[in-house]
Amino acid sequence: MSSNKKYWKNLEELNANSSVIQEIQTKEFTEDLPSKADIREESQDDDSGTTRRDFLKYVGFSTAAATLAACEGPVIRSIPYVFQPERIVPGVAEYYATTMADGFDFSSVLVKAREGRPIKIEWNDKSKVKAASGARVHASVLSLYDTKRLQNPTIDGADVTWKTFDDAVAKKLETVGDKSIVFLTKTLASPSAYKLVEDFKEKYPNTEHVTYDAVSEHSSLEAFKAMYGVRALPNYDFSKAHAIVSVGADILGDWQGGGFDASYSKSRVPQNGKMSKHIQFESNLTTTGANADTRVLAKPSEQIQLVLEIYKQVTGDRSVSSKLSDNLKQQADKAVKHLKKAGSKAVFVTGINDKSAQYLALAINDALSSQIIDVENYRLIRQGNDDKVTQLVEDMNAGKVGALLNVDVDPAYALSNAEQFIKGLKKVECVVSFAMKKNKTASMSKYVAATPHYLEAWGDVQMTKNDYALVQPTIQKIFNTKQFEDCLLKWSGSDQKYYDYVKANFSNYTGGLSWNIALHDGVFEVKNQNVAMANDDAEVDSSSARQMASMLSRKQMKGGDFELTLYTKIAMGDGKNANNPWLQEFPDPITRNTWDNYITISKKDADNLGLENRVTSKGAIDGDVVNLKLGNTTVTNVPVMVQPGQAPGSLGLALGYGQVEGLQEEMKVGVNAYPLYKEFENFQSVSIEKAEGNHEFASLQLQNTMAGRKDIIIETTLAEYVNKGKEEWNPTPVFSKDHVEYPFDSPKVDLWQEFDRSIGHHFNLSIDLNSCTGCGACIIACHSENNVPVVGKAEVRNNRNMHWLRIDRYYSAGDTFQEEKERYETDGTLDHHRSVEVESFDNPQVAFQPVMCQHCNHAPCETVCPVGAIGHGRQGQNQMTYNRCIGTRYCGNNCPYKVRRFNWFRYNKNDEFDYYMNNDLGRMVLNPDVTVRSRGVMEKCSMCIQMTQKSILDAKREGRPVKDDEFQTACTNACDSGALVFGDKNDKSSLVYEKLNDDRKFYLLGYLGVEPNVFYQTKITNTEEV
Amino acid sequence: MSHYEAPIRKPLVTGNKTYHDVTEDIVRPIEGRANKTWWIVFSIALVAFLWGLGCIIYTISTGIGVWGLNNTIEWAWDITNFVWWVGIGHAGTLISAVLLLFRQRWRMAVNRSAEAMTIFAVVQAGLFPIIHMGRPWLAYWVLPIPNQFGSLWVNFNSPLLWDVFAISTYLSVSLVFWYTGLLPDFAMIRDRAKLPFQKKIYGILSFGWSGRAKDWQRFEEVSLVLAGLATPLVLSVHTIVSFDFATSVVPGWHSTIFPPYFVAGAIFSGFAMVQTLLIIMRKVSNLENYITIDHIELMNKVIIVTGGIVGGAYIIEYFIAWYSGSPYEDYTYLSFGAATGPYWWAFWALIFCNMIAPITLWWKKLRRNIMWTFILSIIINIGMWFERFDIIVLCLSKGRTPSTWAMFSPTFVDVGIFIGTIGFFFVLFLLYSRSFPVIAQAEVKSILKLSGDRYKNMRALHGDDVQLYELPKQKPLPDFNKVITDIETEEVDVTPADGELSQGLIYRLGKATEGVSDDLKKLSGVGPVLEQKLNQIGLYTYNQIVKLTDKDILVLDQLIPQFPKNHARFWTGEANLLKRN
Repeated sequence: MSSNKKYWKNLEELNANSSVIQEIQTKEFTEDLPSKADIREESQDDDSGTTRRDFLKYVGFSTAAATLAACEGPVIRSIPYVFQPERIVPGVAEYYATTMADGFDFSSVLVKAREGRPIKIEWNDKSKVKAASGARVHASVLSLYDTKRLQNPTIDGADVTWKTFDDAVAKKLETVGDKSIVFLTKTLASPSAYKLVEDFKEKYPNTEHVTYDAVSEHSSLEAFKAMYGVRALPNYDFSKAHAIVSVGADILGDWQGGGFDASYSKSRVPQNGKMSKHIQFESNLTTTGANADTRVLAKPSEQIQLVLEIYKQVTGDRSVSSKLSDNLKQQADKAVKHLKKAGSKAVFVTGINDKSAQYLALAINDALSSQIIDVENYRLIRQGNDDKVTQLVEDMNAGKVGALLNVDVDPAYALSNAEQFIKGLKKVECVVSFAMKKNKTASMSKYVAATPHYLEAWGDVQMTKNDYALVQPTIQKIFNTKQFEDCLLKWSGSDQKYYDYVKANFSNYTGGLSWNIALHDGVFEVKNQNVAMANDDAEVDSSSARQMASMLSRKQMKGGDFELTLYTKIAMGDGKNANNPWLQEFPDPITRNTWDNYITISKKDADNLGLENRVTSKGAIDGDVVNLKLGNTTVTNVPVMVQPGQAPGSLGLALGYGQVEGLQEEMKVGVNAYPLYKEFENFQSVSIEKAEGNHEFASLQLQNTMAGRKDIIIETTLAEYVNKGKEEWNPTPVFSKDHVEYPFDSPKVDLWQEFDRSIGHHFNLSIDLNSCTGCGACIIACHSENNVPVVGKAEVRNNRNMHWLRIDRYYSAGDTFQEEKERYETDGTLDHHRSVEVESFDNPQVAFQPVMCQHCNHAPCETVCPVGAIGHGRQGQNQMTYNRCIGTRYCGNNCPYKVRRFNWFRYNKNDEFDYYMNNDLGRMVLNPDVTVRSRGVMEKCSMCIQMTQKSILDAKREGRPVKDDEFQTACTNACDSGALVFGDKNDKSSLVYEKLNDDRKFYLLGYLGVEPNVFYQTKITNTEEV
Repeated sequence: MSHYEAPIRKPLVTGNKTYHDVTEDIVRPIEGRANKTWWIVFSIALVAFLWGLGCIIYTISTGIGVWGLNNTIEWAWDITNFVWWVGIGHAGTLISAVLLLFRQRWRMAVNRSAEAMTIFAVVQAGLFPIIHMGRPWLAYWVLPIPNQFGSLWVNFNSPLLWDVFAISTYLSVSLVFWYTGLLPDFAMIRDRAKLPFQKKIYGILSFGWSGRAKDWQRFEEVSLVLAGLATPLVLSVHTIVSFDFATSVVPGWHSTIFPPYFVAGAIFSGFAMVQTLLIIMRKVSNLENYITIDHIELMNKVIIVTGGIVGGAYIIEYFIAWYSGSPYEDYTYLSFGAATGPYWWAFWALIFCNMIAPITLWWKKLRRNIMWTFILSIIINIGMWFERFDIIVLCLSKGRTPSTWAMFSPTFVDVGIFIGTIGFFFVLFLLYSRSFPVIAQAEVKSILKLSGDRYKNMRALHGDDVQLYELPKQKPLPDFNKVITDIETEEVDVTPADGELSQGLIYRLGKATEGVSDDLKKLSGVGPVLEQKLNQIGLYTYNQIVKLTDKDILVLDQLIPQFPKNHARFWTGEANLLKRN
């Protein structure tokens, strides 16, 4: 509907042919614009072609562009729930029962998940079996969020889809032909996985399954099989023990799967005036030896003789002969007396990796008719077969293996004959590695299948004959991973999911247990099953025992000058956790070193070889390095730690370190000791030579004795405890006022005006030094609950670790702590410094003491803060207000316990500290209930106020009083030995109230009168002789 | 008011100074140009300051972790330096306030610089509590100011908060006291200033001082009131600083002897620093006649007393720690454990520098030896630094739980910041010495008739009741510009060689030989070098000097580079007096 009207400006326009109008129409401006030339006249330099209009255009565009750019903020991708999942309430944690079973650690756990993210691991109280170190179990959640995890399956290093991968491998397997297909797996201990492998064999009959444990219990398994007919490990319940004699068995470590600390601790707490007697013969100083009543130094070769001697004396078998020094003979006699006295309540264990030694140990227990050892409900958590692994390496080299499928194992790193394995690997046409990280074996494999973390997987585990556990995922798979079993199903041509397979199989062997209940509980028991029974009433065949004894007596330690004992650390285990910064920074309970492994050597030998540890000007420890030689194998540049309590002539070295592949740069620490682990023997005879170089240790503790101080750890003997009054062995500190002595907590000698603390909750924490084995599970649990940062080796060396909870380890200056205190009293002022400062290097007494913030009611830290950033809670907590803190660090100086931790740097989102808090994935493990502290503020133990507050609010919502066991902290939850007890002391029925009124109670530095809310129970040693 | 002072008392102003001489001597560094040495020292100080500033910026941007501190030793160089600087800042107030109240006249020559030193030292000290914080940008939270957090308030129980009040009060009172004293001196400079800019600046600085009797009366009153206010501060500041330690539970810190012992130590180190600075300054600025050897000896006596208190305190500390029988006292900074432990060197540095070395001052000869005093003052300051280092680091390093025993080693940042504050201190002091009257000339003038040697000598000659103001009149000063022009014209006309000039001079003044020479060094502004030069020209005796005319002086100025013309004008009079002696 256009109009025909025409508008005009002047008459000329009406004349279509007007030249004027034509000219005007072609020009935008009637008048001439100032040309460039005109402008140039004014400024000669300007040769840009920019006109005014261009200039305006540019200004306009750039302004608009700048405006638009400014509008775009940082994008943080968060995906909201499209549908609110049932039961998931933001801010409320969910708990799932599942099972950690990585081939080395087996434990039923509860997983705490927040908004779908697993953030913490706790013990599953329903579980009866544990074969793991608490520290590793609690730290395992961090491995889920490991940036070094494989994110996709790869073929020749290139990411592929699972379909491509499965097809390629399946096709490859079909072409194997006559050659064998070998599954080289960790100990799966999974009924369904075993069945699956059997199923697979139906399709590929030339399949073989080889179980390989990097740290092997093969000899124990064989010994048990020889005696009881089943390839398994005996179980032990130390809680009932009256006498424990161990020859080189680190029963609080990873010996035979480990996990005995809880039951061991129970027998160590005096009840009705009785506690167990523990005699430990060992060469390395282990936590077990540290906790023993009597610790006797015995080199590996002597340990062998000790087993023979004890066997001889217990069984009365005269045909056995042993060669022992007088001292050891005497000690062996004493041990035997204790064993015999305790009778069926006695137990003998040994850590010698030798079938005959293990067989004799079983025979001794059999002769004692020990109730501590349980051969019926035997453990199935170690299945590794050294013979088969050795055979496999030979077969590979002989070209008999067509396909090798490595499942969560890294033989290229952990086999002592790794070079041969690698050589053989090249002859295997199809090598598949199932791995979470690109470890050494995976990096040599054509096909690498990315496997999920156990928190993303399904499965079942048979821990012991009767005790089972289920594995369930607690988070959607983070990466494009697939578990081994699913692949196997696929390759067998089945469309079934492994979940369905497990569920189906579950009903097969349980015979009608409820899947849902089992899954909820995480554990279930199946009795009277149709599995080969251990021959429990098998009479020990005396002739075979004799044969074993003579085999053992022929075993010799030859070839080198030193007898080396290889062991695993509580932190690192067999080395699977090398990329876990929590565990790397976890201090060894004995040496208190982090981020390292090293040779432990006795002072005597170190002096002879000219090896030493030095203290630098900043107080860190440096050490010499040595080369270790075993046959043709040399391990170079091994740092040396002079270890009190190391048997002269012996050495100790931890396995599991020195990995390179699949690790972050910072985690590539230590030396690889596996090349020395010849024939899976933990005893090796090596030679040692000093090498050039200096090693920097990162140790948490430099002073090893208590310097004669009486108020640090109060300890006494069982006899004193039973026979004498409390004031004799645990005197209350007193203050003199007007020549009258008042107890330290009397109001008469108190500077403070006390207020009524009897209303509401008042939290106290009891730490029993008798039950505490020093395992350190609490340390990791605390890290996990409270977002404690990792600072790295250099900063630990600067004595800036951030552990809120530490476990102090003291060696005695004399043979015992008693002697140390006496020396302090008797030696002159000028002498006693030296005589109590330096630890005894021979065989000192050892004590552990967990120390966290003591939450003093009269806290020295609270009064000195200029800005009042520290307050005292109504419930007894000493509370740090992070955002008020300006960081004067006066509180840290004034803390007598030195438990305050300062944020020297920003530990999160800082490339200098490239640990889990520096990446989005790692930060998923953070507990949203606890602030991540900024730099420049002081932090410390909060007595897990977020946990106690939740318990109070839960009870309030439900309108009921809080139950005693509801009050927990991360450390008490993690402590399954019962050493840590937390609760409300105003609740007269609570366990902590009972502990508070125990005669053994004492306060650390009690004479200070700071009235801590943390107290300790006197350490009691059983020095009883028979 | 009689100007009588017993002749046995040593004169406090020597060099036959008149009132005008005092003015001239004191404004010389301000009106003159800085020499090369000043620029070299100033550049070094500035570089050190900038380096320290860089270290501070690095610390604040990265974190306290760049220092050598750790979980056990959470204070080290930072608080050591803080206490050290605060201690150094103690002499000023003692000299200006306490000695004022005790009518010690010798303070007048040293109080200005001592107070300046106090203020500059407190500025350095004040830096450390701020930069040692984990979050220094929140440092204002230590002030009790209303805030957005409602009832959030500072913790009045904390000794650190007491420090905030103590240090800020001390700084402000010292600053006011110092500035009040400066007013008449600034006015003097203002009145002499030739350039309008300087006149303006010094006019503003002098707050319009007019020199009327009322001004002087108020000035005296304010000084007295401020002295009364400042005197308790001398005791309170370091008492409160000592509370940082004494009220804690750290073995070795928790000590009731700390307040008096810290105050004595502070005065000890403060006087040592005054000695260090003034011994240099009197030389560089030619102030030997005002800061005499007697001043130095008097200050050394203060050092003996306070050093004695400190030494006694050490012995008591050591004894009590041992006598307590408590194992927790075995490793305090004064204990056998410290003497033989890893920090033995720090322990013995303390004992040597603070206890053994000052004993030498009991000998009068050493007490009056300027070089030894200078060396000792530095030793004492090193010792006092070690005292604080030992208290802080040694006591913390072996605390109550042996498992946490640790050691400390400084990083380059720790060292850099410390050096930076020393640089900053000297930058301030050097600027001060060229722009402020470094001696309270108004006060010195007030005692000139009483204690000046010129007047004491006159009294000795003429009796005590002589009218000292009836002095021989001086000729009016020649018009310099004119005379110089004359010489320049002469030069153009005659161009006499140096030899001719000097020959003419000797002709006029009379010949003399080395054999009959007088000590020309007694003339003001003449040192050994100048004496030598005068000798070279042929001037040996006072008789020659007496005959010097203004023109001769201009001739000498031609002959001798950097000839002190201003001094030379008084030589005639001085030589007259000397001749008579």
